[in-house]
Amino acid sequence: MLRSALGRWALLFGFWLLLAGPWDGASWREALPDLAVGLLAGSLATWVSLRLLPPTPERIRYGALLRLASQFLGKSIVAGFDIARRAFDPRLPLRPGYLDYPVRIPPSPDRAAFGALTSLTPGTLAVGSDEKDHLVYHCLDLDQPNAASLASDEALLLRIRFADSAQ
Amino acid sequence: MSLALDLFTIMSVALGALFFLAGTVGLLRFPDTLTRLHALTKADNLGLGLIVLGLLPQVGSVVAGLGLIAVWLLALLAGATVGQLLAGAVPPSESRQSHREGSRP
Repeated sequence: MLRSALGRWALLFGFWLLLAGPWDGASWREALPDLAVGLLAGSLATWVSLRLLPPTPERIRYGALLRLASQFLGKSIVAGFDIARRAFDPRLPLRPGYLDYPVRIPPSPDRAAFGALTSLTPGTLAVGSDEKDHLVYHCLDLDQPNAASLASDEALLLRIRFADSAQ
Repeated sequence: MSLALDLFTIMSVALGALFFLAGTVGLLRFPDTLTRLHALTKADNLGLGLIVLGLLPQVGSVVAGLGLIAVWLLALLAGATVGQLLAGAVPPSESRQSHREGSRP
């Protein structure tokens, strides 16, 4: 618990340092009040993070994470070109509609991450879940293989975490 | 070398701006709230990414470059999360042209 708290605090405070850049043209004495705000923000963010996403004994497959990240990068580039093509086309080629996706990931922060990730991939936007506990997506073009693309992302996401049998 | 980097910056930032334009054109031309959200989340994400990529050769230090990438990651996270929340707040009747499709494998 303490280890993951310290790790997360270092990560979040480091992120704050990158965004705020309190050393820009300032002496240490001038940067001190800024740093105090950053330390407070980092601690609050760590507290929220531990509340929302308690540390688990599961381990992470970094290979799968890297594959997901690179696939996501490629897909978000395709998504941008897809939007540009449709927006600039005089005929405005869209066939929007809803798609119920029978998601395998249980309701959890992981499912929220899946929703966010797939909202940036071409043509799909997570809208919510329905009474059958399916994720509801809005699609720009129902003629595209939307469900197959979602399934391949989901399979990769499910591979990332695994239970540590040595525990 | 510096000329090549400057050219890279100009091309990448111009291309990024083009995607912001595409997102805005989509916002104006797409028929309803949900399709407009598609345009904003996806095109702006790529546009900002290209602008950050183009500016990277121009920064003075590694820390400033990492800061630019951090800004992009934050915008990415915010766009994906807020896009989902806004989409969830749209009542189904809002999307006039939409129709429901059953589950596919």
